[in-house]
Amino acid sequence: MPKQIYDVLIVGSGHSGGMAAGVLTQKGLRVLMLNAGPVPDLEKDRVFKPTHELPYRGFGNPNAHLDHVFQANEFNANTWVNEKEVPYSHAPDAPYNWVRVRLLGGRSLFWARQSFRLSDFEFKAANYPGGAGDNWPISLADLDPYYSRVEQQFRVVGRKEGWPQFPDGNFTAGVEGTDSECQKRMTAVANKMGIPVSRMRAALGDNGLASSLNLSIPGALATGKLDIVPNAVVREVTVDKNTGRATGVHFLDRHTRREMHASARVVILAAGTLESTRLLLNSGIANSSGLIGHYLIDQLYGCTVVAAMPEARDGKANPALIGGGLFMPRFRNLGKDEKRNFRGGYCLPMGTGSTPDAKYFPEYGPALQKKLDSYAGACITGGIYGEVLPRYENHVRINKSQQDAWGIPTLHIEARYGENERNLCKDAADTMEELYKACGFEILVKSDKVNPPGYSIHELGTCRMGDDPKKSVLNKWNQSHDIKNLLVVDGSAFVTGGWQNPTMTILALSMRASEHLAEEMGKGNL
Amino acid sequence: MQRRRFVQAVTTAAAAAGTISAQQAPAPAKITTIAPEAAADPTVRFFTAAQFATLKSLSALLQPAANGRPGAIEAGAAEFLDFLIGASPKPRQTLYRSGLDHLDTESRRLFKKPFTEITADQADKILRPLLVPWTFDPPSNPHQRFLADVRADVRTATQNSKEMSQVAATANRRRRGPGGPAPYWLPIDPTR
Ligand SMILES: Cc1cc2nc3c(=O)[nH]c(=O)nc-3n(C[C@H](O)[C@H](O)[C@H](O)COP(=O)(O)OP(=O)(O)OC[C@H]3O[C@@H](n4cnc5c(N)ncnc54)[C@H](O)[C@@H]3O)c2cc1C
Repeated sequence: MPKQIYDVLIVGSGHSGGMAAGVLTQKGLRVLMLNAGPVPDLEKDRVFKPTHELPYRGFGNPNAHLDHVFQANEFNANTWVNEKEVPYSHAPDAPYNWVRVRLLGGRSLFWARQSFRLSDFEFKAANYPGGAGDNWPISLADLDPYYSRVEQQFRVVGRKEGWPQFPDGNFTAGVEGTDSECQKRMTAVANKMGIPVSRMRAALGDNGLASSLNLSIPGALATGKLDIVPNAVVREVTVDKNTGRATGVHFLDRHTRREMHASARVVILAAGTLESTRLLLNSGIANSSGLIGHYLIDQLYGCTVVAAMPEARDGKANPALIGGGLFMPRFRNLGKDEKRNFRGGYCLPMGTGSTPDAKYFPEYGPALQKKLDSYAGACITGGIYGEVLPRYENHVRINKSQQDAWGIPTLHIEARYGENERNLCKDAADTMEELYKACGFEILVKSDKVNPPGYSIHELGTCRMGDDPKKSVLNKWNQSHDIKNLLVVDGSAFVTGGWQNPTMTILALSMRASEHLAEEMGKGNL
Repeated sequence: MQRRRFVQAVTTAAAAAGTISAQQAPAPAKITTIAPEAAADPTVRFFTAAQFATLKSLSALLQPAANGRPGAIEAGAAEFLDFLIGASPKPRQTLYRSGLDHLDTESRRLFKKPFTEITADQADKILRPLLVPWTFDPPSNPHQRFLADVRADVRTATQNSKEMSQVAATANRRRRGPGGPAPYWLPIDPTR
């Protein structure tokens, strides 16, 4: 007999795992959380330092094994998963940026807190001629009450607009402030072009921190129902051969590599999209559909178009003239008759009042400095968050010839963007150029290129949900079709990715799945 | 060792340790230290003497001192890059080495002098064709790529230098952007 049998075992402690722990312990269930890394101490583990005191002057250690983590710098280099310790592979011509954190709290410690809902243009994409992908088994109406509670918990602020492609949230506060002349001009021109203009929506959290470490895990611990084991690297989900039910997991101690088994009535995977998938593939379970690992999605980040407001150049930039951001939510492929050479859409997040990067001027020395002085504070920067088509071919599989530091087989990731993404990016860059020109701005650089897949850190899919067990891995409650007491509550369940940063949706799905699970367990159905 | 003698030995060792720690009881005076840069000069170890001289001249052209702000020379950018590139993966080392060699070769071809001895106008004749407008992907020509990289690296090494931060502090301006103070994550205690 196992020493303890928990009601629920959760693998992972980020947004998705933290939310599940919060909900389930509040419902009175005994929960065990296993997390691969240590517990950070935000007071002791961080010290304020000027860049010149860092050993590499802010360049970072060139051998830090963070080759794919574009977001890494010398200040935060010690927080990301070391790619030598937990490697992964991809084809040389198809790079993939997989950005991971194994501290307790996962990536919730570092996210930028941009907070959006998906709309039915994404949940029911197949119902629209320009939709990017299949339908989810749920709609916005199903998720709306959960979004509302998550937004309240995370204290999301935003401006209500009433636009169907940009569903309003349960905002703690609106976005105040008067527009600069530049913002006003851009808004007027964009509206003329049929582009709506709003403001960024973001989670305030508590003191600027909106992580599981401060918003969900403390409450769960306070119930006395949550046990957390840090440094527990889960290797495999175990299943009873007779009943076909999940029984727990095998894990290795991060330091000693000692292996142990933890038992529970229900297993929840919340290890982050691709880690949960890796765990399922390594366990060889829950895959009667053959779809685990497929339909990997993320979001397009890039399409740099930078311009300058001539009136603000040469020291004339001031807050009344230029400054502040604009957020232009999706405006393509919303109409039934719209004909484009791509499906899906993108948003345009924009900033005004910045100084351009020196790399944009083919100059050096005093001439370069003259340019930088002239353009200081006068620039408008734009990029996109764009939709990626969910494709069967974009997938992950186990790389049997490579193992991580704990002897666990690693992932091979195969993801490529195609013609749809290229056409979408071209449209976005051309649209930004048209907008800037109509505003009377000077274009400094224009590119329709985007970063490699994964760069957005919004990897989604690979265990898509659906009503048909032959065409999906999970049901609409994030439960495995094959193993009812096994759930996956992170971004793996996504059917379409949308252009919206996904965390609010991950949190709402995890909350919904966990409440349903508690109800079913209460009824004795699991 | 017999059990009794073993216990005795352990007890004696423990008592000795206790004595030592008891002797340490009054807190020693706070030991202060300084950074190695405050006491010593960096040694150039990676580039050849000729390559390093070219890098130093180049860095002065790319990022001269201006308006009371230190330039690459004052900030020791070339010395720092010798260390950084020396610690970098091979492809980056090769890019730098061949990029510097190319500048010197061009200088000798065009002006019959090493790069370190030509005028700024002459250097411009070599550098200008290598400066290309920004594109999302770096230039495929290695010499153009080198110039794009070294231009950015010299700038960052200068901006992030102690010399620059001292100027900013003297000017009583709050440092923003590159070089300014930020929370640094220490390595997480490996035993935690
Ligand atoms: C710099 C940055 C900026 C971002 N900005 C935004 C934004 O503005 N808006 C937005 O919506 N999203 C943003 N994101 C993405 C967002 O952080 C993620 O969508 C979200 O945090 C994912 O949560 P998760 O719980 O699914 O996964 P994670 O946070 O990755 O948590 C997974 C946890 O599982 C654990 N784990 C993994 N493998 C194992 C194993 N084998 N055994 C045991 N434990 C394991 C890890 O230790 C980790 O704690 C950003 C991310 C980053 C890094």
